[in-house]
Amino acid sequence: MTPSMTTSRRALQTIPGQWGKSKKVTLSMTSSRRMLKGLGNVVLVLMLLWTAIPFYWMIATSLKHDKEIYGYEATLIPQQPTLDNYATVFRETPYLLFMRNSIVVAVSSTVLSMIIACLGAYAIARLNFPGRAFLARSLVFTYLVPTSLLFIPMFALMSALRLTDSLHGLTIAYLGFDVPFCTWLLMGYFKSVPVELEEAALVDGCNRVTALVRVVLPLALPALVVVTFFSFTHAWNEFLYAHVFTSTNSARTVTTGLANFMSQDVFFWGPLMASTIMSALPPVVMFLVLQRWVVQGLTLGGVKG
Amino acid sequence: MLTRRDVLQRAGTATALATTASWWLVRRAHAARDKKLTVWNPAALAPQVDKIMQEQCYAYLKQAGIKESEIDYSVIGGPQLLPKLVASLEAGNPPDITRLGSGYVQLYRSQGHLLEVTDIVDKMQKAQGGLFPISLGTVLHQGKAYGVPQSVSPWPLVTRMDILEAAKVDPPKTWDEFIEVCKKLQKPPRLTGFGPCLGLESDTDNNVMNMMWCYGGKLVEADNKTVVLHSKGTIAAVQLIADMFNKHKIIPKGSIAWDNTGNNKAYQSRQVIFVLNPTSIYAHLADSDKELYNVTGLLPIPAGPAGAIEEITTAEWLLFKHNPYPEVAKGLAEYWMAPENLRVMIEEGDGRWGPPYTGMYDSEFWKRSVFQHWRTMLERGQLFSSPGTTNAASGEVIATHVIARMMHRVLVESWEAEKAVEEAHKKVAEIYARYQEA
Repeated sequence: MTPSMTTSRRALQTIPGQWGKSKKVTLSMTSSRRMLKGLGNVVLVLMLLWTAIPFYWMIATSLKHDKEIYGYEATLIPQQPTLDNYATVFRETPYLLFMRNSIVVAVSSTVLSMIIACLGAYAIARLNFPGRAFLARSLVFTYLVPTSLLFIPMFALMSALRLTDSLHGLTIAYLGFDVPFCTWLLMGYFKSVPVELEEAALVDGCNRVTALVRVVLPLALPALVVVTFFSFTHAWNEFLYAHVFTSTNSARTVTTGLANFMSQDVFFWGPLMASTIMSALPPVVMFLVLQRWVVQGLTLGGVKG
Repeated sequence: MLTRRDVLQRAGTATALATTASWWLVRRAHAARDKKLTVWNPAALAPQVDKIMQEQCYAYLKQAGIKESEIDYSVIGGPQLLPKLVASLEAGNPPDITRLGSGYVQLYRSQGHLLEVTDIVDKMQKAQGGLFPISLGTVLHQGKAYGVPQSVSPWPLVTRMDILEAAKVDPPKTWDEFIEVCKKLQKPPRLTGFGPCLGLESDTDNNVMNMMWCYGGKLVEADNKTVVLHSKGTIAAVQLIADMFNKHKIIPKGSIAWDNTGNNKAYQSRQVIFVLNPTSIYAHLADSDKELYNVTGLLPIPAGPAGAIEEITTAEWLLFKHNPYPEVAKGLAEYWMAPENLRVMIEEGDGRWGPPYTGMYDSEFWKRSVFQHWRTMLERGQLFSSPGTTNAASGEVIATHVIARMMHRVLVESWEAEKAVEEAHKKVAEIYARYQEA
């Protein structure tokens, strides 16, 4: 407490009536804080419900019979829970094959985009070469072009290179928008890493690559985690490219497999919801795993040695 | 240091690459095409139908001497087929054979993508009493056929017969009777009389057009040039729907926001007594709700002053050029359409489609009471742009939902029916004029 504050507190104590006033002020401040806190909690609860209810609805629908799904009364809790919809998914589609394909494509595009983005971002952030600024800007422009415009020329390119209807083709296609985003994000983060640390590493005998791997990347862990998560979920959830570039079950991913439960003006809601829940699990698990690393990475960065 | 010559050279190279790359890519796409027969078959409502069609495909190709490794057969979710097809056509790498609904034969024929299949259609004309004229009309151009008719489906009045029977009410014969029946039987808000799709969707275009015909309205004359939407018949039909919605209150208010699945859902959840839809609802109920399936009737549309005319949807096999095995692809379409093979597929589909052959309706399956009006509906039914033909202009009218927007002007923005019809007429005339010029 500063001397002036102590003095003013004493002064208040000596003047009759002033202390009571201050108490009122303190009380009203406390109650307004409580109100604000309460309001904040209400908003948080609403946001939680906003996010959680669709998930709950998906789970509940996946456990209902068709008759209940289409019933007049929308039931919050399945009246006669059934796993039939899950069985239908496995019986009528090669779901495990779709799942395997999604995993292969998502993991490969994530690993490749991480490697390319780390090297690219480091080069743009640290090295001097002609056209560096142009390259950095073009990364953003590339990322901003919507996939709905790109899919036709991309399909022509993929066909010419005989890459359609294959997992490696899809992986390469996803690099087209994963790499620019990841590079752009990592570039900003690499710039925030003090250059002196790298210089010290270079003096100690590292070359550029080992300095990147041993010094810069560990410090950029939170950004790496975010980028990994982005690449993975993007590849996992992507529909348009997967739909246009693949035809046979051997190359179809989960998202395109799900689309077969929509036929003309009839949607098979039960199996659709069941397969959606199962396909949402891997990204959720990944997020839970990576979340710990994000927090850890941020904490490491916040403590001075 | 770059000289001016270097800069010009590089700019020239870049320009040359930019201008020729797309051409080169498409050429390469053609060249890179595998020696495979590619079949994209849109998913049917019932998985067993998909399976039968696939088995038939493999059976035919086996006898044609094509190895399994030379076939690329895919079942594709219905709404997902078009974007994929558009991309593949642009890239010069379309499937060899696919199935699409009314209108696409003429669209892709006009763009030069389709193989001529007059020989197959000629053979079909000689089998099972020949084809319905409506099926033939969708594939012919100047006497040549560019698609193989696969099925015909009417849009009946899908009806809760149990409610009508419990109240001892006869099926309505006219739209006036229809309104009275709805008012009598409905119990809003749980049960409303009529559930037409009224959102900005193709089902709305079709539902409204279908009711317009009963009042004498139509889109265009047979010359495909004279747009006649602005007529007393159209205005009367639009006013009728507006009255059903606002005055008689026999249409759920939410229907103005429905998509194409909205009317299906309303019927399947037992919230409406009548819907005007293809038989996808009925076929789907066979697996999903047997109780409702058993009490569902497929009635003819009520008549207006101009009569009772059902909408018809057709589907065709389209065979694309750049096909490594054109004769095999044609043989496959022919095999699928052989009456004995088609019968298995159609009957397994439980009324989702009807065969395009006029003489195939004599089996026990088609004698079921639920199908008693099917034949009549097919004989008097029309396509969306009748008496004009289905072409690129009518396709654009549907794609831009001119008719649905006209209805929205009245129901949502409270316009007078005549003013809304006048506006829609201008838009349709603009579209048709554009294609005449082209």
